Amino acid sequence: MALLFLLLRPVLLLSLFHFGPISQSQAASGSPAGEDFSEELLLRPLPDRKLLAHFHFQSRAPHTSSDGRHHHLFPKAISQLVQKFHVKEMELSFTQGRWNYDQWGGFDPISSSNAKPPGVELWAVFDVPHEQVDDSWKNLTHALSGLFCASINFLESSTTYSAPDWGYRPDSGSLRYGSLPREAVCTENLTPWLKLLPCRDKAGLSTLMHRPSIYKGYYHSQRLRLTSSEFEPEGVGSGIVLEQTLTVVVQPSSQRTVRSYSHETKLQPSWSLTSIFGRKVSSRCVLAKSSIVYLQLDGSLVAELDSLQKENKISSADNYVSEGVRSNACFEVSVKPDRVLKELKGVEKKSPSVLYEFSIDKYNESGPFDLGLTWKVPVAWSCQKAPLHVSRFLMGSGNERGAIAISLRSTELTDELLHTKTSEGTCKLEVKIFQVVPWYIKVYFHTLQVFVNEEPQAVSDVVEKMRVSPSVDKLSPGVMEMLLKFPCGMKSAAITLEFDKGFLHIDEYPPDANQGFDIPSAIISFPNFHTSMQFLKDDSSDKSAILSKFEENSAVLAYTEVLLVPLTTPDFSMPYNVITITCTVCALYFGSLLNVLRRRVGEEERLENKEKQPGWLRQLLFRLYAKITGRPLEAVGSTSTSSSSSSSKLGFIILVAGIAVFWQVYYG
Amino acid sequence: MAEITEPLIPPNQTPQAEAADEPPPDFDPETMRKTKPGLKRLILTLSVLFSFILGVPLIYKSVEIYRAPLPFLEIDSLSAEIDSNPLLFPCRFQAIFVGFDSKSSITSLESSILHQMIELTRQTPQCGTCSPNHSVSVVLDSDSHGLVGAVDFDGDDEAVDEALQAVFGGGSGSGSGSGGEVYTVVVVNRGGEEVRAVVGKYRNAWILGRVSEAEAVAEAAEVFVKVFVNGGKEEGLIHGEFMPVGADGTLVLSFNLLNADPRDWIYDWDFQTVDETLLAPMIEAMKPVANISVESQVLYHVPKSSLSYWDDNWDSYIFSTKDLPFFVNSNEWHLDTSIAAGGRSKMLHFVVYIPSAKECPLLLQLPDGQISKTNSFISPMWGGVIVLNPQSCRKNSESKHPSRHTILHEDLQKVFEVFMGQFRQLFSFKSDNLYVGASGTYNLLPSERGFTVWELDVLSRMHTCFNLHSCATTLGSLSRLVQSLPRMIIKDEIGKQVKYSLEAAKLAQTNASLGVYDASAVSSRQARSLAEDAFFHPSIMSVSYYSFEHCFAVYSPFFLPVSMHVILAALREWRRYKKENKKYLVWKAKMKDAS
Repeated sequence: MALLFLLLRPVLLLSLFHFGPISQSQAASGSPAGEDFSEELLLRPLPDRKLLAHFHFQSRAPHTSSDGRHHHLFPKAISQLVQKFHVKEMELSFTQGRWNYDQWGGFDPISSSNAKPPGVELWAVFDVPHEQVDDSWKNLTHALSGLFCASINFLESSTTYSAPDWGYRPDSGSLRYGSLPREAVCTENLTPWLKLLPCRDKAGLSTLMHRPSIYKGYYHSQRLRLTSSEFEPEGVGSGIVLEQTLTVVVQPSSQRTVRSYSHETKLQPSWSLTSIFGRKVSSRCVLAKSSIVYLQLDGSLVAELDSLQKENKISSADNYVSEGVRSNACFEVSVKPDRVLKELKGVEKKSPSVLYEFSIDKYNESGPFDLGLTWKVPVAWSCQKAPLHVSRFLMGSGNERGAIAISLRSTELTDELLHTKTSEGTCKLEVKIFQVVPWYIKVYFHTLQVFVNEEPQAVSDVVEKMRVSPSVDKLSPGVMEMLLKFPCGMKSAAITLEFDKGFLHIDEYPPDANQGFDIPSAIISFPNFHTSMQFLKDDSSDKSAILSKFEENSAVLAYTEVLLVPLTTPDFSMPYNVITITCTVCALYFGSLLNVLRRRVGEEERLENKEKQPGWLRQLLFRLYAKITGRPLEAVGSTSTSSSSSSSKLGFIILVAGIAVFWQVYYG
Repeated sequence: MAEITEPLIPPNQTPQAEAADEPPPDFDPETMRKTKPGLKRLILTLSVLFSFILGVPLIYKSVEIYRAPLPFLEIDSLSAEIDSNPLLFPCRFQAIFVGFDSKSSITSLESSILHQMIELTRQTPQCGTCSPNHSVSVVLDSDSHGLVGAVDFDGDDEAVDEALQAVFGGGSGSGSGSGGEVYTVVVVNRGGEEVRAVVGKYRNAWILGRVSEAEAVAEAAEVFVKVFVNGGKEEGLIHGEFMPVGADGTLVLSFNLLNADPRDWIYDWDFQTVDETLLAPMIEAMKPVANISVESQVLYHVPKSSLSYWDDNWDSYIFSTKDLPFFVNSNEWHLDTSIAAGGRSKMLHFVVYIPSAKECPLLLQLPDGQISKTNSFISPMWGGVIVLNPQSCRKNSESKHPSRHTILHEDLQKVFEVFMGQFRQLFSFKSDNLYVGASGTYNLLPSERGFTVWELDVLSRMHTCFNLHSCATTLGSLSRLVQSLPRMIIKDEIGKQVKYSLEAAKLAQTNASLGVYDASAVSSRQARSLAEDAFFHPSIMSVSYYSFEHCFAVYSPFFLPVSMHVILAALREWRRYKKENKKYLVWKAKMKDAS
């Protein structure tokens, strides 16, 4: 830009064409051919008095061969990315905080596809020959790192990414996976992400993204998912689909927390868009095909409300589901919903969840949209949990070795689900584990131990399939993919692996090495369990993006904690200290050697004989020497005074040097 | 170790010595000695000192950082050469006079044209033009038969041009590069008083009308110099040294349609067709100069950054020239995200700005108060902006949905004509097709490919010159940088790149002097790109520069104390030797006296 202002000598001399306003312009019907964009927001109250807000933006561009490479809505940068690196599928997420699988749910589409490990996670599938995949990956990381102002380029080094075979996604020939657990996520990553939206944060639902409120939350995950069928023959797939989601968990500030209910039945905080985000939605993004806000009530919450209403003997038990009603005995919604959608009952689920749909089309600056929810009675419920509760921790102490343990605990859900299956006979609970460990954590895979119900088990009984690629020092990380089959009645299971901590070269330590090193999250997935939510809707042709996402059958998965391993860190000023001390010792040795070589003992003796009285220091030294050697003072004094004095000098010097070395080693 | 041997010898020796030669009575052990002082220790200490001194260059060699030798002298001579005598190409001109009574000979006509041309290029020749010693040939042709007899000059300009090209251009081929290009001017002496001069799309021009011989010579010379050599440029418009082409010879044209506020109206375009019909021929034509790629995007919610004011006279919003630097809103117009433009390729942004209802219609005002006819401006090396006002500025307030429009193909064609003009201006050509010279007005026949053949020749020459210029500047900066940082590591690769760059520059110069446009353009591009590769080499960019302080800090703990010991020991031994030797001499003198 500096160049622009420097050189800007605007020239308005074009005189060839007289240029008036556009004489005619045809009114185009609807959106430009093929490309569309939709914006949606899902709000869901969580059992622990928090609120989940899930923004979902979807851009679609048709196949290049049919529609050309010039886009009207679709971001240019992304289509160039796809074209240049032949990306078939890609997902990039920036996350802060950890998804609470127990409280916020572990068995619904949002948790399985939007709960991400802290930091940056990137995986991509390329449509290139096998030997070019690594190069494409490296180039892609650099391009993304420029695009998103993040240090994704650290994933370029072969020590940070891996090529999972079947542990992460089922069909993966040219898949690469990498994550940076310590990447800090902030607004400079959000701004380029917003740039990809046609309206950015100037209009539509994205105006709600008030930076202080969304970064203040308990969980923040910004995700970009790309699916392209560019390199398949035309007609297959739907061109490029760019899905951008932002999932935040915030705590609505409640004014009336002092109400004297017991802890369990405290009144849920009431909230509105203004109180959470500090803003209202004044208009929709005019370029969006649809802009819809959903308010989701969990299945168990609905069941709870049902029972509450029955207790209170309110006649119309179903009235919060019926359309057009914004207030009932339990809560009040500030805006009348346009539609109420009820989940089609799954086989194993007890109660369906309810979606209130609000369309933003009819709101404008004079009457902005501000959804609010006010609770009238205290309600307590719990979300549907994942089949197993997963956690990972470190064992052992010291800087030499340790062990990684993954513990799996059954939740009430598994009990219910599996009890029904046990009756049928062969019941096995399948668990897939995918774990990447950096090379400096040298995992010994032969030390794999499996405990079921706290009893050690033979590995071959439990492990169905396993693929291990051991780490190579400074070259590649260790990758472990495992398929485990547990008996259904299992209460708890644990897997341990021992490891040695490696040493890094002094140049390889990151800044602030004393903080420790992160082991990226392991991914635990349950191939038997799938989440999908079907909502009854009249017109199936024009399905909203979020709902069609809910309908997809995705496997339940959970990310474990990031582990922090302290490694032995050297004193980083050590090289210089070593140089200094070595040089000093060498110089002392050299100097005294030279002195000894040119010493004339006879002459000194003569001189000494002349001086009757030696200096008091020398006397002291002689005495000390005599004490040390145990010889009588006279003998030393008479026969070999001079020689012993020189040797004692040498000894003194060596003593001093030794003390210095000692000091350096233990206190330096 | 020393305890056993040393104390034994002196007591044995001294009695022996005393026994051997009895001392004279006046022997004073303080000032005299009988034996020659030993050289053993002196030699020892001195040899240590000398070995230390000999070791200094070794140590210096071992701590020396690697610096590939760079040809500083050659770099300096290259930049001096390019600065002092600009790159000039040999050009060949041909003038054909039809229907003149040949009073003067061909040679005199040739010399008079040459004289006129030299007159016109009297000021210092610009880089990338033809060398002053032009080769001009004159052909006198009769009206009915001969070379141009087949050409019907009464016809359409296009047809005449094609016919002339068929006559002259057929042999040498239309592409530039073979070095055999001849610029031709045909002067046809017939018809009325009105003189028409047309410059064609190829390398031909013709003048029709009743002209005297002197006029014909003057006009032919002017066409040669002002049009064919200088490209018909206006002086001082854009300096020729700026050439918007990247170091690797690529140029990315990024076309952007900006809807300032899509809530009022949304405009869209059919860029695909434009790309295929209007831009593709131009890109094809520009191949020898630059490798052009095109990309487009439509952006929304992108207001300009400076405000305009309402003017009742014009009944519209006015944006004056002095505010133009603030028109481009670099915060909100995210134009510059191109992944396709890798490396060092140059991007030119072309922006169609559709104002919002609040500032519609928006007009750009020239400094003299007039309204810009094209409603557009350019910014050298950055690109151009066109403000496109919607047909009706009244917003349809009833409807919630903004009106969506697609810019019609005819309008888009007009927009791209302006773009083409801007593009030509960015390459410092005229955007209109009239050239007003000293001796008349010339019609420049526009090419449907944006640039005519002779203009491409000019561009190619300019490009070569620009590349060599920038290569010399880059290498000059590199050599200054390297010389100013004596402890910077310079890898062999950089040295090689510099060497190859210099070689390519030399090659480009020789090719240019031979008149081979293509080859010189290619090697000049190579020279520039290698020079920039060397300058932007990652090892230079990183601050891996091993400072002298560091070196001193590492080595001083050893060398400072040791050198002190060594020097002191040598000094002491030397002093002692001198003293003892004096004693011995005194004794010797005494002995001589005694004997």
